Amino acid sequence: MDRARTTVPRRFAVAAAAVGFLLALQAHVPAQPAQTPLNLYGRGATGAHGVVAAAKPEASRVGVEILTMGGNAVDAAVATGFALGVLEPNASGIGGGGFMVVKLASMQEAVVIDFRPTAPSAARPDMYALDERGRAVGNASVEGGLASAVPGEVKGLLYALDRYGSKKLTRAQVLQPAIDWAERGVPVTVNLAQIIKDNFGKLSKFEHGLAIYAKDGFPPEIGDTIVNRDLANTLRLIQARGADAIYAGDIAAKIVAENRKRGGILTLADLAGYEVKVRAPLTGSYRGHTIITAPPPAGGTHVLQLLNILEHADLAAMGEQSTATAHLWAEACKLVFADRAKYSADPDFVTVPYAGLASKAYAKALADQIKPDAVMKNPAPGDPSKYESGSTTHFSVMDRDGNMVAVTKTINMFFASGVVVPGTGIIMGDDMDDFDLKPGSVNSIQPGKRMLSSMSPTLVLDPQGRPFMALGSPGATRIIPTLAQVISNVIDRGMPIQAAISAPRLYQGRTGNLSMEGRYSINAYNGLVALGHTVTVNPDYDAVFGGVHAVLFDHAAKLLHGGADPRRDGQAAGF
Amino acid sequence: MKTRPVIAALAMLALAGLAAAQTSALKAPVASKPAFLTTVGQSADIEMVKLLLDRSAVPHKDNPQAKAADLAASGAKTLVVVLGGSTKGLGAAGISADAEIERARALLAEARKLGMTIIGVHVGGEARRGQLSDRFIQAAVPACQYLIVVADGDKDGFITKLAGGAIPLDKVDRMSRAVEPLQKAFK
Repeated sequence: MDRARTTVPRRFAVAAAAVGFLLALQAHVPAQPAQTPLNLYGRGATGAHGVVAAAKPEASRVGVEILTMGGNAVDAAVATGFALGVLEPNASGIGGGGFMVVKLASMQEAVVIDFRPTAPSAARPDMYALDERGRAVGNASVEGGLASAVPGEVKGLLYALDRYGSKKLTRAQVLQPAIDWAERGVPVTVNLAQIIKDNFGKLSKFEHGLAIYAKDGFPPEIGDTIVNRDLANTLRLIQARGADAIYAGDIAAKIVAENRKRGGILTLADLAGYEVKVRAPLTGSYRGHTIITAPPPAGGTHVLQLLNILEHADLAAMGEQSTATAHLWAEACKLVFADRAKYSADPDFVTVPYAGLASKAYAKALADQIKPDAVMKNPAPGDPSKYESGSTTHFSVMDRDGNMVAVTKTINMFFASGVVVPGTGIIMGDDMDDFDLKPGSVNSIQPGKRMLSSMSPTLVLDPQGRPFMALGSPGATRIIPTLAQVISNVIDRGMPIQAAISAPRLYQGRTGNLSMEGRYSINAYNGLVALGHTVTVNPDYDAVFGGVHAVLFDHAAKLLHGGADPRRDGQAAGF
Repeated sequence: MKTRPVIAALAMLALAGLAAAQTSALKAPVASKPAFLTTVGQSADIEMVKLLLDRSAVPHKDNPQAKAADLAASGAKTLVVVLGGSTKGLGAAGISADAEIERARALLAEARKLGMTIIGVHVGGEARRGQLSDRFIQAAVPACQYLIVVADGDKDGFITKLAGGAIPLDKVDRMSRAVEPLQKAFK
């Protein structure tokens, strides 16, 4: 018998039947597997030479590529930053700003580059009509032209490159990977697909966004790619002309025209007058480790304040996820957020007692208020003045020479104001919402003022003063306890950086419910409820608790370990 | 050429497969225009369903927080409810999950009283499932006369089970493909 003659048609018939069956099922089977169960593998990375940890694997690889080309950690950070503006367009970009903490091995002191957006010159404390809940009528502080401040991203990143870059690579080389991704197309992940769907209404209000972020009028599906040629062309102009490409000339005119068309108040003079501010970092300690973080208007003061309070407890002995540990975190968070609301703002406009807020003595006074068996109902802010002694995506880069960079940057809400400047690919930020919209607070709106932020890019030195960790997170006010928890997980519990990032988190504001991820211990939950806490159980891995991206230097092994957050699309890369 | 019949068979099977994929659970249209659109769960998916109704040439008004009393005044003959919850959406609307379910129950009861057809649409996929969303789905599905679901959101058969074979249900693999069943549902 000729086996081939009989079996091949059978195989074809079986295959045909299978194809037919699959096609019949086509309408009932998702095109791409969803990201469940959650992908926990491959988030971290190890390298002997350098590691970049960012919110997108492609962005981390951009940073590593720059390091392999001979760039230093700042070159890599700037390239990663521009690439993230393309690869994670919902989170940061040219229309926003942020904070960068840099400590090169050659520097005695770290430096903080503040490229936070500023209120336009025509901004006023009462510029928003407020509803009965204190929110801007018509969502004007988060959507449309009036939501945008003067962006700082391009000036900030290029300042860092010019001042602290290796000078071995050109601006054109550092920006090229971002241009390549804008032209190649950004992969639509489970996370990005959902973010676009969630913000589709906002993008639909201002039609230019839909031209980029919709496919045939609908949100793109998982597995699609988003090409943004306009943004690629804008980045090319930055390659050629530097920051002037954005803050003057045609692009500036387009930004102002679109902003004003959508009800905004930006002017060409606002853009031309934007200045990067270089600030001294806030330095403190936690159990012998040096904490170097971003001062106001960033949120590092309160990360340090929270750690200072927790230092008064033996967290290691209290146990991981125990009732006592969770209670302490919750109560400490209440005190910290009470102070933040009262004192923190742009230090160029108000006197922020940040040295007092971050002092050990003040923290002791706050720690003494925490009772192990009672829940504070309405904590009042303290008085840090007497302790004064005369001081939204995040990525981290470290290399084997001990150069450390931590950058947190944002356009504020996902897809920001929803306004895309036609022909440029730029999404304008909605950072104005971070001001207190009511007049009379330290963080009320004033022309040229920078809105308060929780962004807290942070560097940690080990007890020998050697580079140990670079970390930070997006997540609004959750940033502060989230970073403190990750630092504590490493220092108090000896967790590897990826485990410290993945561990379940909790969050407590000044008032309101205590929120915790669903993986938190049921015994702790029961204990907290018995103590009188009102506890909200969030999903097991909830992006609301931030997206920490960190690098840790293991000096004994001479290896750098990158950790990235599974709550979002984080993935580190190393070499 | 021995492969020709095989290719022909393959093509026929493929066509048969496609035909099966496009078969609607509805034997005839069940709904009349115009429609009134609301959410049950305050999710942003209502924006996508607006677009789907536009593409399906179904005139509609919408109000994510519509109350029962709004239905009669709308003049609509069909109520389209977008299924699935959003913590952010509920927060923005200033409404609790319990209050949202009460609003939905009253709205659905009023629609039945007015003789409106109720169509439930779940376009959020797997991400629009879970404890919060499932409460809203459970509350609304039994009141529906037709359901359109993006398949990813019913991997576990939760919505199919709620429909119980009594409520016609069509699944589509992508949101944009919900236009066809919507068109077929309206006279």
